Amino acid sequence: MRDLVTGGAACAVPGTSSPSNPFGALANAILGSSSKAQELKGLPETSVNVPGSSSDFRPEAPLTTIPGSEYGNQQHQQLDAWNSDFLYGFRSANHGLEDAWDEIHRPPILPHAQGRESESHLAEFEQIYDHSGSSVLQPTWDGPPQRVLSSFLHSFVDSGRTGIPFRPVVQPVLGLSEGDKQCIRDRSCIMARHIFVDKSEEYISAQVNALLHSLDIDSDHRIRGPMHEPFPELEEYWNKSQSGLKSGMLNSADGWVTEFNQQRENGDPEAWAYSFEELHGTDGWASEFEKEQSQMESFGQIRGGNMSNISAMEQSRMLAHALAQNTDPKFQNSKFLQFVSKMSRGELIVDENQIKPATGSISADWADEYQTQYNFRPNSWADQFTHEQLSQGMDKFATEHQQQGVDDQWVDEFSKLHVQDWAEEFGQQVSEGALGENSADNWADAYDEYLDEQVLASKQQSNTSSRVYVFSDMNPYVGHPNPLKEGQELFHKGLLSEAVLALEAEVLKNPDNAEGWRLLGITHAENDDDQQAIASMMRAQEVDPTNLEVLLALGVSHTNELDQAEALKFLYKWLQNHPKYGALTPHEPVDSLYYANVARLVNEASQMSPEDADIHIVLGVLYNLSREYDKAIESFKTALKLKPHDYSLWNKLGATQANSIQSADAILAYQQALDLKPNYVRAWANMGISYANQGLHEESIRYYVRALSMNPKGDNSWQYLRISLSFASRNDMFEACDSRNLDVLQKEFPL
Amino acid sequence: MPVFKTPFNGYAVRFSPFYEGRLLVATSQNFGILGNGRLHVLDIDPASGAIAEIRSFETADGIYDCAWSESHDSLAIAAVADGSVKLWDASLPPTANPVRSLHEHSREVHSTDWNPVRRDSFLTASWDDSVKLWTLDRPSSVRTFREHSYCVYAATWSPRHADVFASASGDRTARVWDVRDPRSTLVLPAHDHEILSCDWNKYDECSLATASVDKSVRVWDVRVPRAPVANLAGHGYAVRKVKFSPHRESILLSCSYDMTVCMWDYRAEDALIARYDHHTEFVVGVDMSVLVEGLLASTGWDELVYVWQHGTDPRAMP
Repeated sequence: MRDLVTGGAACAVPGTSSPSNPFGALANAILGSSSKAQELKGLPETSVNVPGSSSDFRPEAPLTTIPGSEYGNQQHQQLDAWNSDFLYGFRSANHGLEDAWDEIHRPPILPHAQGRESESHLAEFEQIYDHSGSSVLQPTWDGPPQRVLSSFLHSFVDSGRTGIPFRPVVQPVLGLSEGDKQCIRDRSCIMARHIFVDKSEEYISAQVNALLHSLDIDSDHRIRGPMHEPFPELEEYWNKSQSGLKSGMLNSADGWVTEFNQQRENGDPEAWAYSFEELHGTDGWASEFEKEQSQMESFGQIRGGNMSNISAMEQSRMLAHALAQNTDPKFQNSKFLQFVSKMSRGELIVDENQIKPATGSISADWADEYQTQYNFRPNSWADQFTHEQLSQGMDKFATEHQQQGVDDQWVDEFSKLHVQDWAEEFGQQVSEGALGENSADNWADAYDEYLDEQVLASKQQSNTSSRVYVFSDMNPYVGHPNPLKEGQELFHKGLLSEAVLALEAEVLKNPDNAEGWRLLGITHAENDDDQQAIASMMRAQEVDPTNLEVLLALGVSHTNELDQAEALKFLYKWLQNHPKYGALTPHEPVDSLYYANVARLVNEASQMSPEDADIHIVLGVLYNLSREYDKAIESFKTALKLKPHDYSLWNKLGATQANSIQSADAILAYQQALDLKPNYVRAWANMGISYANQGLHEESIRYYVRALSMNPKGDNSWQYLRISLSFASRNDMFEACDSRNLDVLQKEFPL
Repeated sequence: MPVFKTPFNGYAVRFSPFYEGRLLVATSQNFGILGNGRLHVLDIDPASGAIAEIRSFETADGIYDCAWSESHDSLAIAAVADGSVKLWDASLPPTANPVRSLHEHSREVHSTDWNPVRRDSFLTASWDDSVKLWTLDRPSSVRTFREHSYCVYAATWSPRHADVFASASGDRTARVWDVRDPRSTLVLPAHDHEILSCDWNKYDECSLATASVDKSVRVWDVRVPRAPVANLAGHGYAVRKVKFSPHRESILLSCSYDMTVCMWDYRAEDALIARYDHHTEFVVGVDMSVLVEGLLASTGWDELVYVWQHGTDPRAMP
């Protein structure tokens, strides 16, 4: 059944996807795939930093005056000094003040004040209290939409803290008015510029657009852009400061900004938006297009929806990247940022005014989402354009995409069409100019990146599905001063899931730290997460190609994966790089290795230094590879005589015994491992497997539950648990298992 | 020291210039992006040190800033996100309030400041790029200053000159104005990023501090605008507000999206005197008491208002 399961530097069979693993295939058939639970960490301790004798303030007699008034006497002398220096425009306070404040009451200078003169002057301040007129309390905005938005936000935030995936119980209806949407649009745009200061303008608008997209708010033709309107005296400063900016920042937006400014000078800042609507009607584009293209309607809508999804995906990617780079652990816990980021990643979507957690992958979603009509989204220009220019290619693309999702063929085909070219062409064709080139360029860029990403992803997919390390979201250790040390401590304490986060923070900080990657790999292996363990070890090996521990771990991992060639390669490399045994190896290219040759070399080495536990371990792994389990057991037992406290070695022995149908012995070995390291998740899970192999399903369940209570992310263990539940006829617990409700399971199956 | 939980996200906090333990707190729902606003009048009980709410007032949109009147101990202004400016009398019940609602700004009002010298007037700064001057006896603004080319995030009176104020804008300039002149007197390109706050030194009439999205606080001598007198680096994200101490010439307090409050001595070699990281979300409001030296207050998007003596832990309960 389950193959060699080794601890420490080891990885067990990733049962879910490997076709060579019958158990995995069975599990897949029975269970289907399951989603990962999200785990968020609590806030690390914060501290006040007040150096030394911090009492910079002595308690003195409190001032009873307000600031400024105490300077009345000095005002004269000091004013002279500063008048002469710079305040040429200021008159001395004594004779200037009354003039100025009187002037205020003279006929107006500024346009806005026109007509005010005639208004009767409210002489007394107390008249303010005559609040018959202007003091009517405005109705507060506290209807159902507000409560929904608010509670939605808060339940989302709470979900982030508790680690339970966000699932709105009731699909709320957000009746956001146009005004509300405008508020969200404008304010989030301005605020985003404050928060994401280090990012490019494209990035910021992508952030905002993603949020707006999530809330089903039209994209940005009415968003207030960054300021572009230098006053003459500032032109120089601007040119200086802007030369340092990314060139794309202003170019992309210039078109509409110019137009916007023209409109604005006419007096009405909103005019541009209105004129847009006048020109086109609120849904002018869409309806016009639909008329022209009625026979192609469905295709057009598919593409329209696809455009918005492509940009949403792009935005998601950038956001995830940014969050991973945030250096302050507090930021990872910020409710505000979690809200924005969750929205931006499309984990929450608003579909016909209902907020839903996005289900499945984005590529699976888009087809559904097309059906949601974006009736007058500005994106629909893309529909029209693509029809005129590219109907054939796009049809093919759309059809294929719909049927098969992403594949290389259409990517190639589509990239031949010179996305950039046609985007420019389109810009020229827009006679009204209302759309400008900004959106066309953005779209084209986003789409290009999307294509690149897809090509990359498909390549990675075809090479190996398990080599890409996936970082956790919202890592509280990002920004920790010494995450490696923290990770090591957590690892030694046996807090493996926590250690993973700390070590991830370390390798994010120092991607070239082989030790960080290695320890991360070991932690994942011990925590029963094979995919991640292999991915980490591969990164460690990239950084440090000759690290013996890493090479051995990879040899073990690939043995677990039944990948003999790869396993042999790493075990051979281990031998080559070993100071003692390196001389044994002839300088052969590593890609033409034969099992017998490698086994012979390792045997020679083991005879050369029988006191070296490691060489016996390598031998044991090799025997596992050739399924000579009895010999493997002997090798591991020899190694254990030399290293009796190596818990991972006990686990290796147990796994081998389990494979050789000595499950009763295996349990003894696992128990040794657990005695040495009680939080050894993998050993708990392996214990469950051994019981299951002996037909003791009720027992096995208890061990799986124990393992899962320590690492709820162990997807394999969840699947094994479900199988054991089935064999133990405990179908009543399927629901708890499927919803990963550990509380229920732990109560039902105490160990 | 005492803590007060507000139902909405904190936006601004101000000590009363009349009562030692009185605070004004402006808050907004949903981080000020959408929803209501609430203005709280809080009192610190001198015996127990606990904070109790005296009054609260609701608005139909978020409140971004607030200020106490310098002339009437119960009067306060709120800068509301819907573009209105509301005057509240804390001695009157909510039903009798607001005593004034002034609606001229076309966009969010982001800041307000009461004139400490000529005490019947106040300023508002808005995302409509303008600054407006108001007096208590008039139902409409007496002046509008339009020169900034992007949102104006703050406008602050000089503590000495009744007619002089400074403004901070997203157009990357701070400007110094005389209310008698429709044009600014000085344009200070103080940062390469948006400027979110500014404040005058209470002891040096030519000294102005600016705080920017570029994470820095800078102190300027407005007579020598070419280079800052001091550049205070240490915040990790945009600096949202900066205040000069009412008691010490070279002391400043700042708060930031990096969730900390920092105290600085801009003349010292090591300018950063203290860093308080008691908040768990963006800190957007800070103030220093005029009446009690070293008494600080802060509020942020974690919906908490802290009041503490400098040098003590804001979270330590009395």
